[in-house]
Amino acid sequence: MGDSKSIPEHDVIIVGAGPAALTAAIYTTREDIETLLFERGVVGGLAAVTDKIDNYPGFPNGVEGLKLAGELQKQAERFGAKIELGEVSAIEDQNEWKLLKTTDGDKKARAVLIATGSDYKKIGVPGEEEFYARGVHYCATCDGAFYRDKRLVVVGGGNSAFQEAIFLTRFASHIDLLVRSTVKASDVLEDEMQKFVKEGKVTIHLGTATDEVVGEEGKGVTKVMGTQDGKKVEFLADGVFVFVGLKPNSQFVAESKIELDDIGFIKTNPDLETAIPGVFAAGDIRSGATMQIASAAGEGATAALKIREYLEGRPHPVQN
Amino acid sequence: MVKNITVFTSNTCAYCQMVKKYLGAKGMTYEEVNIDEHPHRQAEAMKMSGATTVPVTVVTKGDDSKEVVVGYNLAKLAPALV
Repeated sequence: MGDSKSIPEHDVIIVGAGPAALTAAIYTTREDIETLLFERGVVGGLAAVTDKIDNYPGFPNGVEGLKLAGELQKQAERFGAKIELGEVSAIEDQNEWKLLKTTDGDKKARAVLIATGSDYKKIGVPGEEEFYARGVHYCATCDGAFYRDKRLVVVGGGNSAFQEAIFLTRFASHIDLLVRSTVKASDVLEDEMQKFVKEGKVTIHLGTATDEVVGEEGKGVTKVMGTQDGKKVEFLADGVFVFVGLKPNSQFVAESKIELDDIGFIKTNPDLETAIPGVFAAGDIRSGATMQIASAAGEGATAALKIREYLEGRPHPVQN
Repeated sequence: MVKNITVFTSNTCAYCQMVKKYLGAKGMTYEEVNIDEHPHRQAEAMKMSGATTVPVTVVTKGDDSKEVVVGYNLAKLAPALV
């Protein structure tokens, strides 16, 4: 772990920079608690790659995910939060200090908030990995523009699949939406989608499993094979966008004392504290989270207040 | 040594913002090609990267060799800038 005297010390390190993390940082830094955030992906998390967010309070006409992420970042930085682009690979409990191994070397914090959220799951079918970024995608706002006047398949039946499929209608000539069982998207999104179904721009295929992404070298994806009512079906497609649920970004705590649930989300007590005292978790990464941006922001605020209580109860540790 | 950098982006791409932020933090100047504003240059991004995605960062070195980084991938982007 190197010479402990040279390890930078912080009051709070927040792992992640999505809505939970940025909200927590607004609260901690407004209380003059020095706070460093580590983000390995996009500031704003999955919210930032969502086309439009319609259910975050205060935006009567909805808000672009990228815009909301940018505003949260500005607000946190206004009070002094520092965001570092890098990755945390391990957390070690050293009682009054928590040691974090990062791409920028070891760092110590008196308290840690894990707010690493989730990423979109893969389907796990043949062709998915092979044609990743060459016809198979998980970010409509990033890659949709490559499919102007092309046929697409979107896989998924929840809010993300419907929201992103609606976004992709601005580019695609036609979208086949493959829903494994039944639609889980909200009524509002389902109603909005019906407009595109009536126009013939989108066809929804319920009870349709996705079995394989088929393509050719040099040409990319050509079709998607599936199963509907026990029969093989195929859909011509130039690209496939996948939104089939979320997987927790908790691999980096696997070797620590932090407890995970069966899926890999982090267990906390009602104070959002993990099995390591002084290490908290909030937002989509927390076991039992509702996977809503508004909830994540609320949990971020709660975690920050609990961190303040935790720090107030302890004298500042003296470095060895 | 880096001679020049081109970043292919789109209007709605959050990962593109991160690449630009990273390059800015490193004090690197770059040319941005937004494929929403310049759709005719989309094929150029695809040819360079072999992928239908942005961001694509093309780093041209002093000897005119090119390193292409697909996506926001710090593990590949950081060494490409050396």
